[in-house]
Amino acid sequence: MRNVAIISVGYNDRFVAKRPDVNIPEMIQPAVANALKKTKMKHSDIGVVVEGNMPTFEGINYPHLWFSDHIGAAGKPVLRISTGGTTGMSVFHGGYYCVASGMFDVAMVIGWEKHDEGDAQVGLMGIVLPEAFSLFQFGPDMSGGRGGGMGLLGGGGSTGGASFQALSYLAKAKGTPEHIDKMAAQARSNAAKNPYAHLQHPNCTAADIAKTPMVSYPLRFGHTCPTSCGACVMILVAEEKVKKFADTDRVAWVKAVATASSDATTGNLIDGQINDPAEQAICEKIAAPKAYQLAGIQNPKKEIQMCEVYDGFAHQELMWPEKLHLVDNSCKAIDEGRLAIDGEMPVNPSGGVVSTNAIGASAMVRVAEASLQVMGMAEGGHQVPRRVKNALAHGWGGLFQFVTITIVGDEPVKR
Amino acid sequence: MQKEKKETRQVSDILDMSLLKWRIEADGLELLVQGFKEKKILGRKCHKCGMVYVPGPSYCRKCFIDIQDVVEVSKKGKIACYTVNLADVRGNPVDEISVAVQVKLDGSDSWMMGQLEIDDWKKVHVGMPAELILREETTGALADMVCFRPI
Repeated sequence: MRNVAIISVGYNDRFVAKRPDVNIPEMIQPAVANALKKTKMKHSDIGVVVEGNMPTFEGINYPHLWFSDHIGAAGKPVLRISTGGTTGMSVFHGGYYCVASGMFDVAMVIGWEKHDEGDAQVGLMGIVLPEAFSLFQFGPDMSGGRGGGMGLLGGGGSTGGASFQALSYLAKAKGTPEHIDKMAAQARSNAAKNPYAHLQHPNCTAADIAKTPMVSYPLRFGHTCPTSCGACVMILVAEEKVKKFADTDRVAWVKAVATASSDATTGNLIDGQINDPAEQAICEKIAAPKAYQLAGIQNPKKEIQMCEVYDGFAHQELMWPEKLHLVDNSCKAIDEGRLAIDGEMPVNPSGGVVSTNAIGASAMVRVAEASLQVMGMAEGGHQVPRRVKNALAHGWGGLFQFVTITIVGDEPVKR
Repeated sequence: MQKEKKETRQVSDILDMSLLKWRIEADGLELLVQGFKEKKILGRKCHKCGMVYVPGPSYCRKCFIDIQDVVEVSKKGKIACYTVNLADVRGNPVDEISVAVQVKLDGSDSWMMGQLEIDDWKKVHVGMPAELILREETTGALADMVCFRPI
């Protein structure tokens, strides 16, 4: 297996709610150009393109049909990967496998979403409708009462599903909804320091978040992610080609990738649900230990200097660092300011998914942001002040059942 | 940073999903509602690892083997997690607040979803004992499940 470096990250522009001025190919193309601009390579040096977004969210099932020319894929292999929220990082892993395996020297990976052309809630409905519709065969209560089968899911669409996880997490961590307020406030404040973040709220406070309406207890509007438009592109290069193609001495080396999956947790109505959505053993006991083993990391709390976790909902920014063995109790840590950009374990200096969520890009943005931190190139004041030798990026997807992890560092692993 | 070009045109459409024909086994749900006729809560137990699922799938998700042993579990259990529905699927406030719960019934390893009947949602907590209430006259339908009530 070869070592692989991330030599460039490109965003199309700042992530925003609507881009009426461009279509999907036009939105993605500048991200490709921006990523290439920061290298010494020509487009023809790219060996393979791996791409992904959420199927059905824009109502277009094969979007790459329409933008293959805009990304310069003519004559090259194109792979499309989609795994729900983890899509962006699964796409990244796909590109990594292509280069690490020796099949290609250079891979370009693209994660994107253009939410203003579709409907995220309808896209999500397309995931659960067959299961929900099956209930109609078993005589649900259609009277609007509390009877079995109908009205079981929490309010606010996906927020309802996440709120089960949030309460289960809080019960275990002995936290309160106010801890989620604090975490969301930190995220939105961090986003204000990231020129590419969508919801920027300088100096946001927990009190600001607590004023937003409750959607599905304990989750408020201020705890939930927006729907954003944007694209993220990264260029991955084999170790022996780094000097030739990288335009910087500080590249981010991929030290480990790991992923694991489980049954659908929360929302499984027709087969008994066996997994607590806040337990996440697939992360804590499978993916995270595997990633640390591959990266040669013995003590993640000390050897990793920052993390970017997938926090579609603010309680997840508390939960995931615990499951990743980076923090013992996040509720205590946020109270003590230890998760801030200048804290001992900065969590989501970029503002995270709760501030910017172009879903197909979001898990890749976690790797991109972790890489920029290692390269010392995070713009606008969200660069972690101490030297980042190792950074961890995380994604989750499906019904809380997929987890992806990538560890990047300032030097390659000796294999 | 955004360039305000207004070059694209918006074309609206809806996706017609009426021709899709999803097939789902839902065998465990059938077992569950048939059990309601006799006011029993029925699930399936894995003969290898002993996991009890309610509703019970026809295979064990831990052992990946077919399972057929039917077991009855208690109507009583503990709230594993819950949420309070204060908004609809679009985030608009709802008129009637409801509490959705996932309950681990005694004798089952899985969680079952339902709604909790309670006067004040602020009294709900993880670990709270609750009981599944069935209609007085059951017919073998999901509607036989009236609600969960705190014990």
